[in-house]
Amino acid sequence: MVIFNKIHLTAITLLFFGTILNILPFSEALVSKTPPILLLILIYLSLAFPNQINLTYAFISGLIMDILMITPLGYNALCYTITIYLILLYYPQIRLQSNWNKMFSLLIILMPYFFISTVVNSMLNIEYNILDVCISVFISILIWPGLFGMLRFIRQKYTS
Amino acid sequence: MKNNLHFRQSHIISIKLILFLVISISFLLIDKNLELSNKIRNNSSYLIKPIYSTAEAPLKIFNKLSIYIDSMQDLIKKNKILEKKVFIQSGIIQKIPLLKEENKRLRKLLNSSESMADSKIIIAELIKVNLSPFSNKIVIDKGEKNNLSLGQTVIDSLGLIGQVSEVNKDFSIVTLITDPGHALLAVNTRTEKRVMVSGTGDNRYLKAEYVSLNEDVIEGDILITSGLDNIFPEGYLIGVISKINKKINKDFMEVDVRPSSSLSTNQEVMILW
Repeated sequence: MVIFNKIHLTAITLLFFGTILNILPFSEALVSKTPPILLLILIYLSLAFPNQINLTYAFISGLIMDILMITPLGYNALCYTITIYLILLYYPQIRLQSNWNKMFSLLIILMPYFFISTVVNSMLNIEYNILDVCISVFISILIWPGLFGMLRFIRQKYTS
Repeated sequence: MKNNLHFRQSHIISIKLILFLVISISFLLIDKNLELSNKIRNNSSYLIKPIYSTAEAPLKIFNKLSIYIDSMQDLIKKNKILEKKVFIQSGIIQKIPLLKEENKRLRKLLNSSESMADSKIIIAELIKVNLSPFSNKIVIDKGEKNNLSLGQTVIDSLGLIGQVSEVNKDFSIVTLITDPGHALLAVNTRTEKRVMVSGTGDNRYLKAEYVSLNEDVIEGDILITSGLDNIFPEGYLIGVISKINKKINKDFMEVDVRPSSSLSTNQEVMILW
């Protein structure tokens, strides 16, 4: 029971920091290329605790991001939910992979996220730049090993 | 037993997935014009403002630090430049009373009312947070508490920025003139012809719409607000025509307008009454 609470407390704290990092101001040139940090943290948490941190967390985090980033309600919620569903389908395989393979898996898992966001952008007539989207995916993959290590360190320190 | 548990778990996840997908898509359909999320933002502004402030804090600290780090000589240099600017601008301002009088006289001659009456202005600071990169919106630190209302004009020292599109208790959201869903009626200062100017989603340029192929438009023409759309007061600078593309097989010219305001580098904006 204590561990159960610790997991949720750590997850909520990490997601709060992820939310702040997601809306941190960047220069105009970088703003559309920033990686979806909150989603990356959600991916890590659902890999580590698939029974506790799953679709409900993804959906609620998405809704909060929609409100904070002034996007139509449901936009991020939809993208996050589908991405975390994919993680829940394949987490036993991903967990066993090496860091390099994990980067490749992340690329495959983030593809539907960016594909869905592109489809929703087109449906809602929101202007977007496909090159920026690709750069964002690339940066997400590059920072993944570092972020993974840092999150694992925090998880081991605060949930065990 | 374990298999049963696993089966139950995956069953629950599938149900959750379908439920959340249905809710998300319904929200997307309902909230296409951000009406529902505006209401939620309005009711929870006391929660959102601290999150925005926390996200903005590192940038503010960095800015303050950079001011301290700036060497004395740099500050003296900057001061000299600013003094020069103030000197030049005060020279220009001297002409304003004269121009006002001339304007009054001309308006009397034309029998028209004073449309450029002294308007009240308040300065608002931008809350620098990373919104959706494609939203073309900015957040300012003035809201209902400062008597802001929907549709108010927002400008900077160089020109028109946009209009207030959502008012919350402590902050408001401004839709930029570059938003693809935004359009306004402008006047070409050289020919005095009216032009419809709409956003493109790109901060670097706007589009002048429905400009017929035989219309007198040249690069460098200045566009100002017409005041005919009942939103923006007359006479504020919108931008300069930067590119004209005439295609014979099309009914209208493709005209790009470079916005005069510094839409991406602003720290402060002015709100007009």
